[in-house]
Amino acid sequence: MRNIQTLLLCAVVLAVCAAGTASAADIKVIANLSVGASSVSADELKGVFLATKTSLSDGSHVEPVLEKDGPAHEAFLKQFIGKTDTALETYYRSLVFTGKAAMPKTLAADAEMVAYVAKTKGAIGYVSAGASTAGVKTLEVK
Amino acid sequence: MKLRWSWLPAAIFAAPCLLNAQFDFTLDGRDVQVHSFASQGFALSNVNNYLTMNTSGGSFGLTDFGFNASTAITDKFRVGAQLYDYNLGRLGDYHPQLDWAYGDYKFKDWLGIRGGKVKTVQGLSHDVQDMEFLHTWALMPQSVYPLDTRGDTISHIGADLYGDIGVKKMGSFSYTLFGGKRPNDPDGGYIYGVNTMSHVPAPQGGFMYITGQTKDVTYYGGPVYGADLHWATPLKGLLLGASYMVQDITTTGHYTQPVVVPYKLTTVTDKATQFYTEYVYRNLRFAGEYRSEPKIVQLNEPNGVLVQGFQDSRSGYVSLSYRFTKWLEIGSYESRYIDNWPTIHSDPRNHIFDQAVTARFDINKYVDFKIEEHFINGCAIDGVLDHGFYAAPNPNGLAPNMHMLVARVGYHM
Repeated sequence: MRNIQTLLLCAVVLAVCAAGTASAADIKVIANLSVGASSVSADELKGVFLATKTSLSDGSHVEPVLEKDGPAHEAFLKQFIGKTDTALETYYRSLVFTGKAAMPKTLAADAEMVAYVAKTKGAIGYVSAGASTAGVKTLEVK
Repeated sequence: MKLRWSWLPAAIFAAPCLLNAQFDFTLDGRDVQVHSFASQGFALSNVNNYLTMNTSGGSFGLTDFGFNASTAITDKFRVGAQLYDYNLGRLGDYHPQLDWAYGDYKFKDWLGIRGGKVKTVQGLSHDVQDMEFLHTWALMPQSVYPLDTRGDTISHIGADLYGDIGVKKMGSFSYTLFGGKRPNDPDGGYIYGVNTMSHVPAPQGGFMYITGQTKDVTYYGGPVYGADLHWATPLKGLLLGASYMVQDITTTGHYTQPVVVPYKLTTVTDKATQFYTEYVYRNLRFAGEYRSEPKIVQLNEPNGVLVQGFQDSRSGYVSLSYRFTKWLEIGSYESRYIDNWPTIHSDPRNHIFDQAVTARFDINKYVDFKIEEHFINGCAIDGVLDHGFYAAPNPNGLAPNMHMLVARVGYHM
């Protein structure tokens, strides 16, 4: 009986974890139409979002845009950046308060992200895989 | 003084609400970002007065605040500046200073140049040591990041060449080459220490100071140059780095006791080497730094005789912290400073060993509160310069062991 209870508890925990976590397959990297590249490497993506790269391999100038929170945000950080949300904020603040970079734009939801990226030259961001991406281009991550 | 600090906690808590709307604006079609921060600390020690604060009686003399504005003129060119103000016990005295102000042109990701007043990149945290909200600690490890001499070392007026180079499977390298002139912080710990320092070992073996102003230093500064290289290794979360710095400092003024004659202290040699590492695994962070700074200085005594002082200081720390939740982080560090490596390390006149335990509470995204206990052994009073334990605030001498509670609240936006 105790074993069954334990198994059930594990199953519930796993189900909750699975429900709350998006994988890389669940997100899309999007960019403004001014960005010439159609794909981006994982290293490039990390560099752009850590402000060590300001352009992609095709020479397009890019500026990162972040979501405030949510499964897509968590999945993006875990898969490509390797920092927790708190650690990334601390990292950006260290750049901002030494004048080395600006705080990236942060948006609340997929729809806001798509709308902002569509109208902002060089903007690069990410959304849930199911989000509508009209007006922006989706970059393949190699 | 009471009025000066009493408004700060209220301001600290009110400011995020007042500034909750992002304080950005557009100027001539360009977005200008404005950011600000402030912190207020309290320190209480069982004995000794540390960092020129009256810590043995409880001191709120740990205040700083600042704000910056920056904008991108083009995709490759940024400009910005930060104003900073602080009070630390008998230092700072709320005299505002330009913390950094520079233009930054990035030719490529692997080559950029920034010029003006630039924060000096050394080790893991030199350029951000004073941003309390970035760190777990209420007081950074004072062996490597001494708060009292912050204004004397944190920046240079000159230029940096910098860049980031990805090496595919080998990770990436970030480099900074810098050169320029050390600024002069007339209210900083270096000048205060030189002005008031006149200590002697007591005959019974303890410490004794002859307190009072012995000099009137009017200038401190000189050329500085160096480099920093850090490597984000292929092992996820592991960073390794090394820094090197050479400085040639001249300090001038007058003796005020026993006779009024010119005082001049010059660097014969001063080369600092630093190695550092950081490893982050999920919410666990380990950091360690080691710094070696042998130096020879020359100064004239009041009788006109030129003498040389030698110091080979070594310092470092290891720290471990863990973030349990978005609002709670716990950490501890062991910080060690040895004033003169060739002499006896265990002598409390030659070292400062500091063990600290901290809890950091992030009240919200903009406000944090830290409470920290320090267990400090040694005062390192036999050196060329003082290191947190100054003569004037300790007229009855110094005890070799102390413990100290530090609480600090801060906001940033």
